[in-house]
Amino acid sequence: MTASPVVAKAKKRPRKIKPMLYLGLVPLFAMLFLFSYYPAINGLSKSFFDWKFIAKSDFIGWDNYQKMLGDKAWWETFQHISLVLLAGVTIMWLLPLLAVEMLISLRNSRIQYILRTALLFPLAFPVIVTIYMWGFIYNPNQGILNTLLKQIGLGSLAQNWLGDPKTALWSLIFINFPWIASLPFFVFLTGLQNIGTEIFEAAALDGASRLQRFFLIDLPLLGRQFRLLFILAVINILQFGVTAQALTEGGPDNATMFPILRILNVAFRGGDWGYSAALSSTLFIITFLASVFVFLVSRGERQNDKSL
Amino acid sequence: MTSLSSQPLRRPRQTRVKIEQTSLVLILSLMAFLGLFPYLFMLLTSFKNNQQIVDSYWGLPIPIHFENYVAAWDQTRYYFLTTFTVVAATVAAVLLLGLLSGFIFARFSFLGRNFLFTLVGLLLMVPSIAALIPLFVLSKDLKMLNTIWVLIIPSIAGNAVLAVILFKNFIEAIQQELFDAAQVFGASGPQIFRYIVAPLSFPIIGTVSLLTMINVWNDFFWPLLTVTDDKLRTVAIGIQFFQGQNATDYGGLMAGYTLASLPLLVLFTFLSKYFLAGISGGLTASDK
Repeated sequence: MTASPVVAKAKKRPRKIKPMLYLGLVPLFAMLFLFSYYPAINGLSKSFFDWKFIAKSDFIGWDNYQKMLGDKAWWETFQHISLVLLAGVTIMWLLPLLAVEMLISLRNSRIQYILRTALLFPLAFPVIVTIYMWGFIYNPNQGILNTLLKQIGLGSLAQNWLGDPKTALWSLIFINFPWIASLPFFVFLTGLQNIGTEIFEAAALDGASRLQRFFLIDLPLLGRQFRLLFILAVINILQFGVTAQALTEGGPDNATMFPILRILNVAFRGGDWGYSAALSSTLFIITFLASVFVFLVSRGERQNDKSL
Repeated sequence: MTSLSSQPLRRPRQTRVKIEQTSLVLILSLMAFLGLFPYLFMLLTSFKNNQQIVDSYWGLPIPIHFENYVAAWDQTRYYFLTTFTVVAATVAAVLLLGLLSGFIFARFSFLGRNFLFTLVGLLLMVPSIAALIPLFVLSKDLKMLNTIWVLIIPSIAGNAVLAVILFKNFIEAIQQELFDAAQVFGASGPQIFRYIVAPLSFPIIGTVSLLTMINVWNDFFWPLLTVTDDKLRTVAIGIQFFQGQNATDYGGLMAGYTLASLPLLVLFTFLSKYFLAGISGGLTASDK
């Protein structure tokens, strides 16, 4: 199982065919260099140019980055992303965790299985279908939410959810409510199921209440899962741009503008590719630093608690 | 654990547990219903014409109208053809690259092994979206825009990273004795790959395939930017175009959404183990 004997064993044998090994890795690295590393490096270098598609590009030093510092619309997108991230690690964890706790408290394993499948089932739908169905829920005319509000006598609350700058961003965040069919639910569930029943039984024998068990056993044991989900939340936050692009295109009044949408607008609508490359590179560096930071922090913590 | 409690006490305790369990089931069912409701509504509405949507908004579609599906299929069938082609090509290439490179990284020691593997792993931390603009320009320079290749090749590169890591971790965990035995019998590297690694890797092949299929099916920005020819649109993008064409024909729209969901639904139904492993595949990899 461990890696060391594998390597030790392998060391003796394959010296002769080493060129073959590198040859075997050529297809992978050819792909990765051409379509992953080269674009990233090229984007970084082109961010110092006045990069136009047709005309010749001129070197302009830090001008693009200077322009970025004063770009209010760009920095506003980070406010939006912060709000989404905040919701992503609070309310979007709370309900799934609650559901997992209830699910593992069920004694009938058949009912448990059926409910688990039903709760996870929405994950089987394509992302874009979910997004458009929620677009229809928020539809001001025949949408599900407004129709429901009108029928239960709360018609005054009905509004153009995605068309009003005040409600648009929150409407996007509430897509998929109650967020049970999600990665956090799946991760919490597998996490608690892997703990094993002995520890729960021991707690019950010692007279721990369900609430005590939750705070003293379940939550501490899920520490690793929380860190993992946090890393994913940071990386996946960019994915939120898909929702905004499909439903609002960043509007109304830039209320749902996200970094990726701003980058694409600057390039494809404004034609300012050099500036767009500068924004891409900044975003790239920010996410990279953030994930390295979270990675290092979680690794340090993991070394501290030996129990995991 | 209740052996200490006396007979009269047991009864109320049992009823309490029963009430507790029933209310848990009820709450969880409500949550499941809330989660499934949009899709249920989609399915019901996809069989209604516009008049029925107004008259019986929440009700069942009586009589059932299949015309929506005929119209939706007519407008979207090319999207399915394109997406199936892209999915098949990407999955095949990713499996090949992943198995071969994962095997080499897992079972051989050579100069630069750790460095090269770090180069692969580093890409896991980089959101592909950040390199979108330069990748677009590269594809334009290679004259790939508006061809099927622009959908396939970058998606192979994007999906290969996680695949290599997953395969490496899996192949590393295969028992050493098998490899020793093979060596004793004089099997060569390629023979070990062909007769031991490939057959034993079946579960991880399933996971990587599903992971890649889901990724390709959901990929949005890249096909949106690189393809304008209607016949080359993938389902995810085609649905957006379809949405624009049929803005207020809700029945038709929902029929289109349902069609777009079918392939993944089938995979989920029959391969739910691999499907869920695929969805959380990135997770187990970043955990290592």
